[in-house]
Amino acid sequence: MRMHQPGASAKLAFRFFAVAFVSVFLVASCGGTPTSSTSAPASHFPVSITEPSGAIVTIAHQPHRVVSLSPTATEMLFAIGAGSQVIAVDDQSNFPANAPTTKLSGFTPNIEAIAAYTPDLVVAAEDTGSLVHGMQALNVPILLEPAARNLDDSYLQIKQLGLATGHSTQADSLVASMRSQVGALVASVSKPARRLKVYHELDNTFYSVTSATFIGQAYKLLGLTNIADAATAATPDYPQLSPEFIVSSNPDLIVLADTKCCQQDLNAVAARPGWRAIAAVKSGHVVGVDDDIASRWGPRIVDFMRAVASQVKQIEMAA
Amino acid sequence: MTATVTVSVVSERPAALAGMPRLPWPWAAAGLGALVICCAVGVLVGPVHIGVGAVVQALIGGQVDPGQANILWSLRFPRVVLGVLVGGTLAVSGAAYQGVFRNPLADPYLLGAAAGANLGATLAIAFAPGTSILGVNIIPLAAFVGAGAAVAGAYALGRSVTGLRSATGLILAGVAIAAFFNSIQSYVQQTQTASIRQVYSWILGRLVTAGWDDVLLILPYVILSAAAIFVHRRLLDALTLGEDEVTSLGIPVRRVRLIVVVAATLGTAAVVAVAGTIAFVGIIVPHAIRLLIGRSYRVVIPLSMLFGAAFLVLADAGARTVVAPAELPIGVITAFLGAPFFIAVMRSTRAAAL
Amino acid sequence: MSDVVLAGVSVAYDGAPVVWDLDLSVASGEWLALIGPNGAGKTTILRAIARLVPFRGAISIGSRAVTELSSREVARQVAVLVQEPQMPVGMTVSQYVLLGRAPHLGYLGKESARDRGIVREVVRRLSMEELASRPLDRLSGGERQRAAIARALAQQAPVLLIDEPTSSLDVGRQQSVLELIDQLRREQELTVIAAMHELTLAGQYADRLALLVDGRLAAVGPAAEVLTERAITEHYRAQVRVIQMNGSGTAVVPVRS
Repeated sequence: MRMHQPGASAKLAFRFFAVAFVSVFLVASCGGTPTSSTSAPASHFPVSITEPSGAIVTIAHQPHRVVSLSPTATEMLFAIGAGSQVIAVDDQSNFPANAPTTKLSGFTPNIEAIAAYTPDLVVAAEDTGSLVHGMQALNVPILLEPAARNLDDSYLQIKQLGLATGHSTQADSLVASMRSQVGALVASVSKPARRLKVYHELDNTFYSVTSATFIGQAYKLLGLTNIADAATAATPDYPQLSPEFIVSSNPDLIVLADTKCCQQDLNAVAARPGWRAIAAVKSGHVVGVDDDIASRWGPRIVDFMRAVASQVKQIEMAA
Repeated sequence: MTATVTVSVVSERPAALAGMPRLPWPWAAAGLGALVICCAVGVLVGPVHIGVGAVVQALIGGQVDPGQANILWSLRFPRVVLGVLVGGTLAVSGAAYQGVFRNPLADPYLLGAAAGANLGATLAIAFAPGTSILGVNIIPLAAFVGAGAAVAGAYALGRSVTGLRSATGLILAGVAIAAFFNSIQSYVQQTQTASIRQVYSWILGRLVTAGWDDVLLILPYVILSAAAIFVHRRLLDALTLGEDEVTSLGIPVRRVRLIVVVAATLGTAAVVAVAGTIAFVGIIVPHAIRLLIGRSYRVVIPLSMLFGAAFLVLADAGARTVVAPAELPIGVITAFLGAPFFIAVMRSTRAAAL
Repeated sequence: MSDVVLAGVSVAYDGAPVVWDLDLSVASGEWLALIGPNGAGKTTILRAIARLVPFRGAISIGSRAVTELSSREVARQVAVLVQEPQMPVGMTVSQYVLLGRAPHLGYLGKESARDRGIVREVVRRLSMEELASRPLDRLSGGERQRAAIARALAQQAPVLLIDEPTSSLDVGRQQSVLELIDQLRREQELTVIAAMHELTLAGQYADRLALLVDGRLAAVGPAAEVLTERAITEHYRAQVRVIQMNGSGTAVVPVRS
């Protein structure tokens, strides 16, 4: 123990310093007026970023060979204008269309295959298969941006990616634009006479999401009651709901996030035993969304919320 | 010529000899009673409260709230009926496999039925999503075909290697086929990550999506399978003798083995196709009956049907109520209820007999 | 008639010959003992007669070739008592004896009241009524052997093939089992062919002995002719003294030089 003391305290001191540094830097970059309006000034580097886990990642120079193993991060990187610095994205990164999709896997990352792209920054959502350890051994900075719990997490990740790639300005304006669009959508859904009930479906064995999840937060913002919240006691995030519970809950709106995986649509739902009795099925308010948008936490959440809000408005109008 | 044995058969009814194999009627009645009670529990409990009165009214065609009638007729009744079919089939198929292979650890998935079904379903999900043949979804069909193909492959391999002289060769062939199918399944699953979620929820056993169409889909196979195994119960008893001894009794061992394996596989494949892989039922139920009641297949086969069905219906009632309105995977319940019960039975009977 | 005739019978396992061109005939109601050193082919001959192993040549029972019979017909002619009968755990004596009725039932047939009556008679004949509902795994060695005999008897076959009936029994039980078989043979006019390693007992109970060596018949005849010191020394590589006992058969006694 005593032998390790000096090392540990040194690490602690470093972390403390770095947190202070980044905090100051973030405050400056968020609150301050942008000094240059074109592409990011390379002089901002080196930058240090505190991940949600508390780990600190230092990036010495502006990266030009970014590998993204997270479909959400890929969407964010392209949305903030860092797309031209991205040289490879994983096999699940299918948006935007011009993202350089490769066979790299984010689920089972292969360190050597990643290293073959000689990246100067790797972005991933999870540390699977000793990814972080492997990249550190190769002296490649790696930034983890795990699944967001709410929109604020998502905004912070966009800003961190902006900082990491030298696109803070675009990141800030993207976040500002998202904030205002979300605000407008929330405002557009007038306070209804009664709270509408929503059932969000992840697959055709009735896995759903509660308000504790990122996608559940979006429903909450739009003033919807999520029927899956009844199951939070035992399964806080992604419960598998009993079909009889779904039928008897009688949701006003059903959102299918299993259009791609399981080819579900209004007809398929109406054909399920007993489901014709549900208000949403009777009135046709069964909306399919892109599985990917609903399972990521990127800028397209605004599109998702717009689709849901338009359904909500239709239901209210019909009432 | 056979009259050389001078055994006088008295014309009036002789006093019955003790220890003859027969199904003990109190246990048969208990099995029926357990099935009825478990089915009653199955239709009465669930995340939505429906009173006894409403259930009785629904069954006799009386006045019921349409919402409750919908839940009962569209969701609960088919789910309970499917549970009866799945539980009975798995328990009987497990008992049959144990008899045919003289192996207490044999379960209905021994020759690769589960691995084949999983591969078939995974291929269908990954490469032919949303298609149907003659109005039936392709996934259960592919699972059914996969299960049959795996067992047929194991049988062919076992025969080519050992000539079916020993059951061990067949079991080893089944293990090899299952491993091979599993590796392909894992490969497809890893490379087709878009469908990974549906594959996972398919492989986990479930009665969640049960409907009358599932019941109708598997009913013919399940009845055929159970009937074929049932009429072989005397021969399954004979198979507990050594190979030479059975053959010297004029019993065609290989034919019996083939027919019973085909029947058990047919039932298992049908059940796996609609409910996925539900473990433990096929092992725990027949063994509990052997330990508590008797080892003759004249006892084990019919009682496995009754108690297997009752057990699975009860486990499914647990699956939808323990964390209601969420569901638990039914395999969690079968193992959680089944394993301690089984251990208690083993301890109380001091089973020298396994 | 239930005489058993083997003519030019050869058996090979996986191409390796075990029995060579064997001629042997056993009269109806006779007890023939097959003797010979380990691996001489005694068990194989029994298996060939019961058609449990393919053979070349001809085997007939009561002048009908076994190859022309269905396996169920063979089982109605020949009952087999293997050396170590499998005693299924938990199976009762009655249930086990009832299995002997299998050759008389159709493929999916059910035992009739007559079948159950025959089992009852057999169990009574062997004085096993007290043991009828006892599981086989709770029987003593001698009781097990009696249960196995009962099962073979329930088969009502005129020919009884027995492989080493007395292995793992003490001398008293050896005698009582062999006495029982002999009584049953006389009562029911059974033809008995038994592989026996206990030479003295073989000589005492069998009408004739057939000495097999390396799958060939070395000698056949009454005990006094077959059990010679010379033959036993040569074929068994054993040091023995053969003593003719007045009226009590031939004793083969191992000696230590």
